[in-house]
Amino acid sequence: MKIRNLLLSVSVLTGCFLLAASSGFAELDKSDFETLHESLKPDSTESWRQIPWRISLLEGQRVAAAEGKPIFIWAMDGHPLGCT
Amino acid sequence: MLDRASTFADPAIVELLKTRFIPVAIDQAYQRRQKDAEGEFYRKIALQGPRHDFEGSTTQGFYAATSSGALLFYNNYRGPGGEEGLIGELNAAFTVASVVQDVAPIADGELDRRYNPRPPEGGLVLRAHAKVLHGYDPPEDRFQKIFQEGLGRDNFWITAAEHEALVRGELPESLKLRLVRYHFVDNTRGEPPMWARDEVRSLSMTLKDGELRGSVSLSTADGKRSYDAEMLGYVETDGSKVTRMDIVVRGLFEGRGEYTKDPPPGKFPLAISFTIADGSDTADAIPPQGSRGWVEGYFE
Repeated sequence: MKIRNLLLSVSVLTGCFLLAASSGFAELDKSDFETLHESLKPDSTESWRQIPWRISLLEGQRVAAAEGKPIFIWAMDGHPLGCT
Repeated sequence: MLDRASTFADPAIVELLKTRFIPVAIDQAYQRRQKDAEGEFYRKIALQGPRHDFEGSTTQGFYAATSSGALLFYNNYRGPGGEEGLIGELNAAFTVASVVQDVAPIADGELDRRYNPRPPEGGLVLRAHAKVLHGYDPPEDRFQKIFQEGLGRDNFWITAAEHEALVRGELPESLKLRLVRYHFVDNTRGEPPMWARDEVRSLSMTLKDGELRGSVSLSTADGKRSYDAEMLGYVETDGSKVTRMDIVVRGLFEGRGEYTKDPPPGKFPLAISFTIADGSDTADAIPPQGSRGWVEGYFE
């Protein structure tokens, strides 16, 4: 994560120093592309990602019934695995 | 966003959910309205909790239930002591649920099509990730810090006809408009407002020799929310299908939505990336936020 954040900072600073179009940044080049694309990948080691979430409640019910386990529902406005 | 880095960052909670529960994550705006077996099962559980105005307001929170639909607990508390309280509730719920026997599995039955959209057959799904690059004031507490570091996630759905056009090296207008209206948004702190068609002030996007370039200017009529951005991407095909579609967007965003409060002051840099979803992530199957309850509108 430290390397990713460093790359991100370098990219941002580069963009800031090359202010140009209405976007406030210079036109993206291949280096910007690679740095940003890499830095916006989710961190697969985050704890919440280690939980085996299902997104179908009925599929969860069927597995819960078969395994004799209770269901835990993380119910949000907007999808919890997405923007909330 | 908040729960990911607080509640579900607690190792004891993660272990309990992995070993003693069947964890399910849903956007309850679907299930509380669905006229099918899944909707009925969700409402049966939620009706036993404090939030059961299924048409009028949210029912969001944490629920634990038996596979027969008996509510074991409801929790929507986040704050000091929240994780410890949830651990206690999870342990108690597991103990109660362990005596429940012989519950029949519930079949899907006929699905409520409005709330069960599927990705277009023959189309593509791209993962979209968004991040505010900098500009925030120092956070006042750990929850604000979580929002400031948030990585938004959504899926961009491409139709079969658009997919075929991409293979031919073309960029359909429908794809361009859907991309910017529903995915050039700041979803890093919650549900974002999308862009109306007339809020797309200018849009230029070209695909030449596999390189996608473009710029866009988006703004509400009152100018309180805007995004001016440049994009660069690469599209590769094997002659019959797109094998790579990686795009990066970078620009200055300003403003907030009803559920995306506390952005950085003034204009701030927002970056968004896209890549083909290969199905390896559970979230690859989530419908686009912009299609919520009206997938026809998303594809208009």
